[in-house]
Amino acid sequence: MRKILLWFLPGLIVGAALILGAGKVITSTSTNKYCVSCHIHPAADASWKRSVHYDTRSGYRVECVECHLPPAGHGYLWAKAKTGLRDLWNYWTKDSASFDWQAKRGLEYARSYAYETSCIRCHENLFPASLTKAGEDAHLYYTQQKKTPELHCINCHLNAGHFIKGYTHGSNKSFGPASSGSREKFREATKVSEFKSFTEQIPNSSVTFNMKAVPGGKFRMGSPENEPFRRKDEGPVRDVQVSPFFMAEVEVTWDEYLTFYAQTAGEGRSSDTEGSRKKGPVTDAITGATPPYGQPDQGWGLGTRPAISFSYHAAETYCRWLSMVTGKTYRLPTEAEWEYASRGGTQTPYFFKGDPGKFLKTGFWAKLSKNDTSVINSYVIYKGNSPSKTMPPDRVRANPFGLKNMLGNVAEFCSDWYSEDILSTYPQGLVIDPKGPVTGTEHVIRGGTYLDDAGNVRCASRDYTKTSKWLKTDPQMPKSIWWYSDCFYVGFRVVCEFDAKTGKL
Amino acid sequence: MKKSEISRRKFLGTSAVVGAAGIVAPVMLAGCGGTKEDKKVAAVPEEKWLDQAPDGPVLKAGVIGCGGRGTGAALNFLDAGPNLQIVALADTFRDRIDGFRAELKKQKNVDIPEEKCFVGFDAYQKVLAENVDLVILATPPYFRPGHLEAAVAARKHIFTEKPLCVDPEGARRVMATARKAKELELTIVTGTQRRHQRDYRATYQQVQAGMIGDIVGGNVYWNQSKLWHRDKDKSWSEMEWMIRNWVNWSWLSGDHIVEQHVHNIDVMHWFTGVHPVKAVGMGSRLRRVTGDQYDFFDVDFVFENGMHFHSMCRQINGCVNNVSERVQGTKGSTNCRNTILDLKGAELWKYAYPVDAQGKPDPDKMKDPYVQEHIDLVTSIRTAKPFNELENTAISTMTAIMGRISAYTGKETTWDEMMNSEIKLGPKVFAFGPVEVPKDVPVAGEEFKPEKK
Repeated sequence: MRKILLWFLPGLIVGAALILGAGKVITSTSTNKYCVSCHIHPAADASWKRSVHYDTRSGYRVECVECHLPPAGHGYLWAKAKTGLRDLWNYWTKDSASFDWQAKRGLEYARSYAYETSCIRCHENLFPASLTKAGEDAHLYYTQQKKTPELHCINCHLNAGHFIKGYTHGSNKSFGPASSGSREKFREATKVSEFKSFTEQIPNSSVTFNMKAVPGGKFRMGSPENEPFRRKDEGPVRDVQVSPFFMAEVEVTWDEYLTFYAQTAGEGRSSDTEGSRKKGPVTDAITGATPPYGQPDQGWGLGTRPAISFSYHAAETYCRWLSMVTGKTYRLPTEAEWEYASRGGTQTPYFFKGDPGKFLKTGFWAKLSKNDTSVINSYVIYKGNSPSKTMPPDRVRANPFGLKNMLGNVAEFCSDWYSEDILSTYPQGLVIDPKGPVTGTEHVIRGGTYLDDAGNVRCASRDYTKTSKWLKTDPQMPKSIWWYSDCFYVGFRVVCEFDAKTGKL
Repeated sequence: MKKSEISRRKFLGTSAVVGAAGIVAPVMLAGCGGTKEDKKVAAVPEEKWLDQAPDGPVLKAGVIGCGGRGTGAALNFLDAGPNLQIVALADTFRDRIDGFRAELKKQKNVDIPEEKCFVGFDAYQKVLAENVDLVILATPPYFRPGHLEAAVAARKHIFTEKPLCVDPEGARRVMATARKAKELELTIVTGTQRRHQRDYRATYQQVQAGMIGDIVGGNVYWNQSKLWHRDKDKSWSEMEWMIRNWVNWSWLSGDHIVEQHVHNIDVMHWFTGVHPVKAVGMGSRLRRVTGDQYDFFDVDFVFENGMHFHSMCRQINGCVNNVSERVQGTKGSTNCRNTILDLKGAELWKYAYPVDAQGKPDPDKMKDPYVQEHIDLVTSIRTAKPFNELENTAISTMTAIMGRISAYTGKETTWDEMMNSEIKLGPKVFAFGPVEVPKDVPVAGEEFKPEKK
């Protein structure tokens, strides 16, 4: 009996001490003071102090861990251990100046470390009596959707915990181009009478953009089975011939897109009419986009950056408008034209030499092998070199056809409907100017984005629009047909047809 | 016993005590499992109804909208139990208030003092500011979403007439208001009296217990004679005339599929437990004498699992009439009201009406559902067991609106479109003068234009 007590009692005391001690450690490392004590993210500390979670009307201060850890019973200890260890590792092994704080500020990142269960722990009632109409619409929408990780409180409430200057999640009616200042506005578009590169002028604006003449030719569309990171939809390889066309040197810039927006913008969406109460003809004008939500440029700047956050429908309408004002035939490229143009006469994974595996930036082996990415960096804005945002085109060099940012920066809309096995439906032998399937539900996008790693910015990489996902948190009812609320990495470049209007005989 | 059967029983048990149900019961649709097995139909315990609300501290009601139905609802309310009072009135027109007061004096010897009678478009706000525990909303449907928002903000219990709105925008407002009201634990009864009708409820419970198996489709009807209208008097402005003739103007009533047929559409919603995801409708105006509405609609409602329900409604004299619903199941069918048949048409169950002096079942002896709904309302308030029918009826109203818009446009209309539609009826300005709304009768589809030679 004494032996049992001899071992049991000290064990009990040590156990109790450990538990109490552990409890103490957990609480003391969860205080605001502790979070701030490393002095690693003074900007985050400061923006928290300017937020509505710090300076509340009731005087209550929301603590760091109340948002950045899940509530007790929802994985609190596990998340605390994980993030705690990661914090310690980074603190000791990395240079905090190299951290991409801009990216961490963004929505994608925020969703992963601001827990929705924590939001709801305090904000139990989504329909308080004083809720505004906008809140009603948004919360009605939120409660009626199937729950997915993308549908997160923070999509609309990104500034709750950390102040963001100028953050608005409402209709941004003041959005629009800066004045063109004293620059003279063009009266007419450029006249083109032969198949040579030219600089287009948009009438009634001072905006120009370069169009490169892309000679017709043959190429092998798709990628061989042994290409690294190849996906099934990139094969089987087909021989394709493409007729000559003009293609924009860069993706449509904010300067160009805002000209379209300003010249055609509609005030509010036109209401559907119940039946046709009018008996007369409907006028055929091009009505353009309605005011966007929040800041479509995500605060990264306008000017020569590629325009983003607008829908496929908006891109098509832009082309129709551009055709109308310039008297040429502008349109989106077909997928075949796009791949042909991006390859620039090459048949390698990229239009420059290099093995995709050696350009990777993410993943354990990539970090271990310290890949040399200087070649890809000079041609492609991708995960390895972009601070998680778009870049102006002067950062990269052109491909053999004189086109920049075909790979990376923003992905680009194509006119084809997306079909996973489209290449297998094209016949063997030479296919001439294929245009994709007759119908579909989503459109092709090509080129990869500034968020993609090396494997997804190859010439053969294919992707497609995800319309409902990109409108997931559009809290407006009805949802916009002009803007995506959850996609800021897709844009497009225009193709101008070589036809009678541009000198073809 | 299967898990779903146990939960159904539990539900029936609790609801029987109060005799009030705004809750959607477990759904039984074909394809949701269980068709392969032979479900034993569990015996359904008889619901305990109250013939009168229990006594308690006095409950004071304000009436917003003092026309025919407002007066009727007020009388139903006073009949529901002891210690109930009408203390304030609101209406756009003075003469409706006078008519209401005269009727209440005559039938119940109730006086409502002059200073508690308010006239005008914003009279409802004055009633809500009075010391009332609940309000009765019986204005033309157009005004309902705004009145509901204000009443919930004022934390009043509510008896509201159907329909709850006339357009998709209004329906979404009401859905949000329903959530707010639920959080505030208000009791809201929505004038869909079949849900408080004893024979309907008993039939519903038999269906929920599995007597007709899984639901595979059905029909809902409201075909009747021409409804009332008001010719324009010389002294009335256009606004005054439209409001007095509200049941003939779609911006005020939602057209008759919404205004009247919502009752049957609500039964479809109630029995199936879900709403349709799209509608293909047609309709026209044959004989209506005023206003801009149709006088018949015919709609095919399609549900997510592929089930179809057929809906029709008409308001024309001299045609065959039918106001009823039927639901078809894998094991039988029902008229939703008092009878369940097997697949061959033999009677499986019939509601037992109270008997008359000769011992014959007499439906007229059943408690008047128009009073029962007020009994349930008052009981809920006095026993502090709130229930809220707003969301259910908002969904039924939106379903009817979806059918209307499909008929007006000739296109297939989906629930998603309705939840995102910007359609909002009504003028921008409210004054006693000309009314700026479209007044043409909608015509579906496109005109045929012969080619010019």
